[in-house]
Amino acid sequence: MLKDITFGQYYESNSIVHRLDPRTKILVLILDIVFLFLTKSIYSLIVPAVQTVLILIISKVPAKMFLRNIKTILPIIIFTSIINLFYGNSGTVLLTVWYFTITTSGILRAVYMGSRIILLILLSSVLTYTTTPNDITDAIESLLSFMRIFRLQNAVHMLAMMMTIALRFIPTLVEETEKIMNAQKARGADLENGRLIERIKALIPILIPLLISSVRRAYELAEAMECRCYNGGVGRVRMKRLKYSWADLWAAFINIMFCGGIIAINTLI
Amino acid sequence: MASIIEVKNLSYTYDGDAQIVKDAIHDISFSIEKGEIVGIIGHTGSGKSTLIQHLNGLLKPASGEVLLNGKNIWDDPKNIKDIRFKVGLVFQYPEYQLFEETVFADIAFGPKNMGLTGDELKNRVESICDTVGIKREYFDKSPFDLSGGEKRRVAIAGVMAMKPEVLILDEPIAGLDPKGRHEVSAMVKNYREKFGATVIIVSHNMEDMASLADKLIVLSGGKLVMYDTAYNVFSKGDMLSEIGLSVPVVTKVLKLINEKNNDIRTDIFTLKDAVEYLCALSAGGKNA
Ligand SMILES: Nc1ncnc2c1ncn2[C@@H]1O[C@H](COP(=O)(O)OP(=O)(O)O)[C@@H](O)[C@H]1O
Ligand SMILES: [Mg+2]
Repeated sequence: MLKDITFGQYYESNSIVHRLDPRTKILVLILDIVFLFLTKSIYSLIVPAVQTVLILIISKVPAKMFLRNIKTILPIIIFTSIINLFYGNSGTVLLTVWYFTITTSGILRAVYMGSRIILLILLSSVLTYTTTPNDITDAIESLLSFMRIFRLQNAVHMLAMMMTIALRFIPTLVEETEKIMNAQKARGADLENGRLIERIKALIPILIPLLISSVRRAYELAEAMECRCYNGGVGRVRMKRLKYSWADLWAAFINIMFCGGIIAINTLI
Repeated sequence: MASIIEVKNLSYTYDGDAQIVKDAIHDISFSIEKGEIVGIIGHTGSGKSTLIQHLNGLLKPASGEVLLNGKNIWDDPKNIKDIRFKVGLVFQYPEYQLFEETVFADIAFGPKNMGLTGDELKNRVESICDTVGIKREYFDKSPFDLSGGEKRRVAIAGVMAMKPEVLILDEPIAGLDPKGRHEVSAMVKNYREKFGATVIIVSHNMEDMASLADKLIVLSGGKLVMYDTAYNVFSKGDMLSEIGLSVPVVTKVLKLINEKNNDIRTDIFTLKDAVEYLCALSAGGKNA
C-alpha cells in the first residue's frame, strides 16, 4: 500500500532524457503542460499524445513504472471523465437517463478530459523518474536565481534546501510509518476494519509517534548541519555545477515544434 | 513433546523495485518447545527481524508455514489478531511506538484491543507492572517525560500486558546503558517465571545469549545455519566468526590464555562458569 508512492522516485538509467540539464527538463515540462491545456479538442490532443509517447520511449524507463503512477490516480481520471460525459451539448443523443443525456460529443469530451490528465501525469513522471530530487531542487534554485534583483537569493536557497531535505526524508518517513504500523498491529491495533470514525481514531497511535520522531529527527539534522558550519546560502559553492549542452537546445527546439503543431491543429480544426 | 511453535520450510521475499530478487529468509525450519528461551543471532541483514515477524502473522509466508500449538496460524486469516495476542512481539526500539498521554494508558493499549475494560483492564495493567517492577507512581506520568531506559521498559510492558504465551523481543537491550540492560533482562526473566511463557530473543550480545538462552538459532544470509544448544553453538567459534559473529568475551580471554597454557579449558561461555572454573583451578593449584 505505502510502497505505491513512487512519485519523486528516481529510476536509474542512461538515456538522453536522463542526461539533459534538469533546468531544461523543468522549463520544457512547464511549456508542454501549458500547451497541453491549450489544446481545444481531442484532435489537437493527438500532437501531445505522440510527443509524450516519444519522450517515454527515449527515457528508457519501463512502461510498468508509468502504469503504476496512472493506477494511483485512476479514481480521479474516472471521476473527471464521468462528470464530463454529461457535458456534451451537441451531436447525436445516445442515451437519456432521467435529466441526463449522453451524446457523442459528451463521449468525445470525456475521453479528451481523461486523456489530458493521463498525459499530464505521464509528462510529470518523466521528470521525476529521470531526474534525481537533488537535481530538481538545484535546478529550481538556479532558475529562481533572478530573485537576486529583489535581494531574495537567500530565501530561494533556503526554500531549495528545505525541498531537498523534505524529498530526502520521504523514504525514511515511509519506512518509519511501516515500522510503527507493524508495532501497533503487534499490540492488536486494527487498521483495516471498522467504521470511518473508528478508522480515523486508529490512526492516532501511528501519527503521534511519527510526529514525535519527525520533530526529533529535524532537531538532530539541524544540529548536524550547524556542526558543519551551514549558515544558509551565503558564500556557498557547488561541487556539481549545472551546465547546458547542445542536447538541451535540441530538446527545447523539438518540443517547441510540437507546441507549434498544437496551435496549427487548433486553428485548422 | 509438544512444540509450541513450529516453522516449516519458511521463505519470504520482500517485493519492491529491487533488480536482484533475493529471499530475505530462505527455507527455514525449526521447532521450539514450550517454556524454552531461544536466542536468534546473526549478522545485520541476515533476516532475524523478517523471521520473527512471521511468528505473529505480521508477514505472511511466501512459502512454508508457521504452526502455533500445532495449528497453522494462517488457517483462518480473520483470527490473525488473536495470534498477535498469543505471540507478543516487541519491536526493535519499542520506545518509539509510545503514544498515549500516560504510562498507564499506553500499557493498557494492548489489553484494551483484546476487549478488556474497567476493573479487569486496571488489574491486568497493575499485575504486569508489579511483575516487571514498574512503580505505581509512574502510572500518571507522560511516557515522553521518562528516561530512555524507562521508556523502553514501559513499551515492553505494553506487550507483556497482553500476557502472550510466546514473547518475542527484537534486540531488546540495544542502545541501553548497563543499568538499563540489566533491568530489561530482569523484567523478561520475571515475566517468564511468573507466566511460564516461551521467550525468543534476538540479540547481538553474546554474553547475554550464553547466560540466558537454552538454544540458539544462527542465521546467515537468510538461511538457518545452526540450531543447537548455546553450548554447542559457541563451541564452533570458527564457524561463528566466518559469518561475522563471535563467541562471548570471556571465552576469547580463555582462548588467549590457552595459547600460553594448553591445559586451560576454552569451552566456557558465561562469566559465572568462568569464575567458578578459574577459582577451582587456582585453589587446586595451591593445594598441589
Ligand atoms: N521492509 C523491507 N523492504 C524490503 N527489504 C527489506 C525490508 N526489511 C528488510 N529487508 C531486507 O531483508 C533482509 C533481511 O532483513 P532483516 O530481517 O531486517 O535482517 P536483520 O533483522 O537480521 O538485520 C535484508 O537484506 C533487508 O535489506
Ligand atoms: Mg533487525
